[in-house]
Amino acid sequence: MNGAISSVAVIAIIYTALIFLIAWYAHHRKEIGRSIISNPVIYSLSLGVYCTSWTFFGSVGKAATTGIDFVLIYLGPSLTAFSWLFLLRRIIKISKEHNITSIADFLSRRYGKSPWLGALVTLIAFLGIMPYIALQLKAVSTSFFILSGSQKDPNAFITLASGTTIPIALLLALILALFSIIFGARRLVSSERHEGLIAAIAFESLVKLVALLVVGLFVTYGLFDGFIDIFERFKNINPEKFSQLFTFAVSRNDPNYISTFTLLFLSMGAVMLLPRQFHVMVIENSDERHITTAMWLFPAYMFLINLFVMPIAIGGILTTGSSSGADFFVLSLPQLAGYRSIALLAFLGGFSAAAGMVMVESIAISTMLLNHIFMPFIVQCTPRTWFPILLINLKRFGILLVVLMGYFYYRIIGDSYTLVNMGLISFAAASQFMPAMLGGLYWKRGNKAGAISGILLGFLIWLYTLLLPSFSKSGWISDTLLSNGPFGITLLKPTELFGLTGMDLWSHSLFWSMLFNVSSYIICSILLNQNEQERDQVHKFIGVFGKEEAQRRTERKRLSKPVTTEQFITLLSKFIGEAEARRALLIYSNGREISGDGAISEFELPDLKRFTEKTLAGSVGGAAAGAIVNNFLSDIGSSMEPVYDIFSSVRTNLDQNRESLFVRLKASEIINRTLDLQVIMDDLLKLLVKEFKLDVALIVKKNDKGTFSIVSIQGEKLPLTNQSHPCLKNIALLNLVYHDHKTHFINDLRLDRAAITLDPNADQSYISCAHIPIYREGEPVIAVLSLLSKSIAGLFTQEFIELLSSLAGQLAQAITIVREVEAKQLERSQKEAALLKTARITRDMEIAQQIQKSFLPDSAPSIAGVDIAGRCISAALVGGDYYDFFLRSSQIVDIVIADVSGHSVGAALIMSEVRTLLRAEANSIHPPCAVLGTLNNQLHEDLSRAELFITMFYAEYNAETGILSYSNAGHNHPVLQRRDESVPRELDTEGLILGVKKDILFEERTVELMAGDVLLFYTDGLTEACNSQGDMFGLSGVYSHLKTCLHLSSDEILDSFYAKIQEFTGSQNLQDDISFIAVKIL
Amino acid sequence: MKRLLTQILSRLQLPESWVIFFILGIIMMTFPFLHIFNKPVLLLGVPLLFLYLIAGWVISIIVIYLFMIASHHKDKSTDEKDEL
Repeated sequence: MNGAISSVAVIAIIYTALIFLIAWYAHHRKEIGRSIISNPVIYSLSLGVYCTSWTFFGSVGKAATTGIDFVLIYLGPSLTAFSWLFLLRRIIKISKEHNITSIADFLSRRYGKSPWLGALVTLIAFLGIMPYIALQLKAVSTSFFILSGSQKDPNAFITLASGTTIPIALLLALILALFSIIFGARRLVSSERHEGLIAAIAFESLVKLVALLVVGLFVTYGLFDGFIDIFERFKNINPEKFSQLFTFAVSRNDPNYISTFTLLFLSMGAVMLLPRQFHVMVIENSDERHITTAMWLFPAYMFLINLFVMPIAIGGILTTGSSSGADFFVLSLPQLAGYRSIALLAFLGGFSAAAGMVMVESIAISTMLLNHIFMPFIVQCTPRTWFPILLINLKRFGILLVVLMGYFYYRIIGDSYTLVNMGLISFAAASQFMPAMLGGLYWKRGNKAGAISGILLGFLIWLYTLLLPSFSKSGWISDTLLSNGPFGITLLKPTELFGLTGMDLWSHSLFWSMLFNVSSYIICSILLNQNEQERDQVHKFIGVFGKEEAQRRTERKRLSKPVTTEQFITLLSKFIGEAEARRALLIYSNGREISGDGAISEFELPDLKRFTEKTLAGSVGGAAAGAIVNNFLSDIGSSMEPVYDIFSSVRTNLDQNRESLFVRLKASEIINRTLDLQVIMDDLLKLLVKEFKLDVALIVKKNDKGTFSIVSIQGEKLPLTNQSHPCLKNIALLNLVYHDHKTHFINDLRLDRAAITLDPNADQSYISCAHIPIYREGEPVIAVLSLLSKSIAGLFTQEFIELLSSLAGQLAQAITIVREVEAKQLERSQKEAALLKTARITRDMEIAQQIQKSFLPDSAPSIAGVDIAGRCISAALVGGDYYDFFLRSSQIVDIVIADVSGHSVGAALIMSEVRTLLRAEANSIHPPCAVLGTLNNQLHEDLSRAELFITMFYAEYNAETGILSYSNAGHNHPVLQRRDESVPRELDTEGLILGVKKDILFEERTVELMAGDVLLFYTDGLTEACNSQGDMFGLSGVYSHLKTCLHLSSDEILDSFYAKIQEFTGSQNLQDDISFIAVKIL
Repeated sequence: MKRLLTQILSRLQLPESWVIFFILGIIMMTFPFLHIFNKPVLLLGVPLLFLYLIAGWVISIIVIYLFMIASHHKDKSTDEKDEL
């Protein structure tokens, strides 16, 4: 016997070594980056962990006792596979997104990271899985004894070399626990995939399939002659049993399909909700695309593994004659037939099935235990350097605990249940997660209260109607409770709760637990509201396919005190070790801007915090990770606080909300309403103060001297002239804004005071402030917009700053426009002033002209025998031409014509001076040469000072004698035309022009004029008049024209000359004044 | 014939098809249908209910397998589109 035991043990050990080898190889392949696990076939095979020793041994047992309904346990999952395309894919997507570690983590995360829910789910999974683990232990230890030929004694002891004895099942449990620890708890990060484990599981799945197929083929075609042979023989030998096994509940003559449905329902839920199924399906999934293959391959796997169950069961009944011990037909049939090698293979298959299940299940549950039961206590303590070691060992302890609990359950229950019935207890427990799971994925209103209450109620009913009776059946709890109900209340009998009879144990329990579970979930979810965190999570879970949209959401939370990446690394190191922590942060910082000292932008911080949480969640679960990070933050005096929600209302699709748009609109109204900058600035600040509940808003400008002055201030009753306003104390920051053209803001001055060097005199009463540069792109800062709040910390969100920057930009634009407009206006007014000045001067000149004209004699003096006329045609408004007549006596008249050089006012003034002097002289009788000499001396000073000079012709005519005496000071020679002479002659004398030299003598000549003589005095304007060709009128023109008009009166002569000149010049304006005097002797 | 197959495959890509299959499967596994086959007789030497369940199972696996082809077909066509 001992030999048999040891040979089986040796084979088992060799087989174990093989599995280790495979696991090691898979792990090695992963290390070098060429995973063999990332493969849809391996994925499907790993899902085969669903088929445990329950399938391997128990299915045959069930088939041989209650018949074909065993198959429902596998049809359910096959049906579920139809839903994987939308259901499983969604779960995997969410889990990968959030580093989810287990089903407890998933549910707790969905319902607002509730630690209570996580703990509850863990507790249910932990208790619910006990029977399942027990089943495996029972199956393997029993099969071990059958194979080694000893009697079936689950409590058999094995004697070790040291002489101590140990129950074989316990030894097995310990070995399996060791397996699990080696495969699943080498490292802490549980969201990481365990490639070695999955390789082992997939291999074991293959082994159990092959083993069962071999046994099936052996029984069907070795012992019998195929399917039909077995079925027909069975029908002939035992028709009653045949109808019992191949129909549903016909034996009771009351075919009800409730139990059918129960089995279907339980298995459908279990295939996704059992912790180990969730683990291999979701956590260990390496690629979503594997789902489509698994959808048909996994059902096909189950189909194959169950194909021969019925023939084996029938074959067993036919061979042994009864269905007792049917649980181990797979093993005993080859054994009885003497095929020991097939029996050994069957043993290995069963062992594989059990080992795979125990490993995955215990790892999954220990992860849950660590994250949801231990962690909430651990996070209360300050993290220490030995934490990673503690955590990993706690996880190992969890594995051991799970396996040992299974063992103790097995010791208590013993053989009172068949394998399948033990497993169904676990299925019923797992199905309690279903409402919360489905609701969590598809129903937005589903809330934490509903999930907790539903699961709790379902669990309690499960505990009372299923787990308790299982203890009771094994005699561990008194039978009276079961038969009479607690305290004799039959209505509360665990198996017939509220008097519900006629249902099998599972249907009964499922009905009540689901009824309470679902209704409580729905009622609580409808009646109670979700809190903020729950809503956040709902969005993440249900909106998982609109991920990008979720990322666009603006941050609603901020860290009240900035934390550096280094601090986060330190925190992470305490839980996952420094190397891991640095690697994680490296992944995070990839593509993000983080400065050398690890400081990052305030808006990035919540993101980093979330990342840290997610990384931690991969090891310790979501709820605990949240608690750890929050504890850490509160330790350093920082906390997540809601952003002061300026923009509370619904967003438009432009990611602009109504308030923001309203402010923008108002601001542009203000800016466009007026061109008065002061009004614009005041109104804009008023708007900001009012809309955003600021305390002070001001615009500050830097002077040339480098000091700041307030241009506009709103919100505080302060006179504008107060230049030493406390807001101005913070000059360092203002200078910074001027320097780098960037917005600088402090969201909590109390915390930041240490970080930036603030003026110690700065006003303490402000909590948050922002300084926004007012400038146009590429131009210097015009001014700074400063906003201060005394009460609201965390006022300045990214969104708000963006809005303010945009307003500052608009303001800068407005300022520039106003400045341009002002410059234009200045230019225009300058032009106007100049025009006005010109007009005034012109008017003055006109007046001067009038005056000047009035200086000229109105009419010539009338002397008998002489006809005199004089005229002046001005070119400019005032000119320098002058002529005059002085009547000395009734017979003597003085005629003077002069031309002051230039046409300026100066010339006019000199002319008037000349006139004054001449008029003064006019009363004393002097010869013309003396008049000119005196005049020259008198004017010399003035003329040389004014840089002017005068030409003058002075004549004195005595009508009695007909003698004309004359002197010339450089003037044009008057022309004398005698009636009898063909050529006119010029009156010429020597003499310099006036104003050149003092004390000069002027020659005086005389000429006797006769009747008919015409004498023409003129200024150079006459001879120098030009026509359009540039030809001058010239002396010849004067001569020839004078000849033609000798017969005219002197006045008419002048008229004729004027007309001639006008004709000659045409449209040309006169270049020079023209004055002429005509004297005709009658 | 090929067109019909393509059409069926493209219809199978709709999630609605899968909900229908899922529900249909559950209906096949409950009272009215099970009752039809719930008879202790042999058909072709195989118990009727056993045959029903096994055949139904095989059919469901084939249906999902077809879907997989369909989804691969879809992936390929979208890949081609991407390449274009």
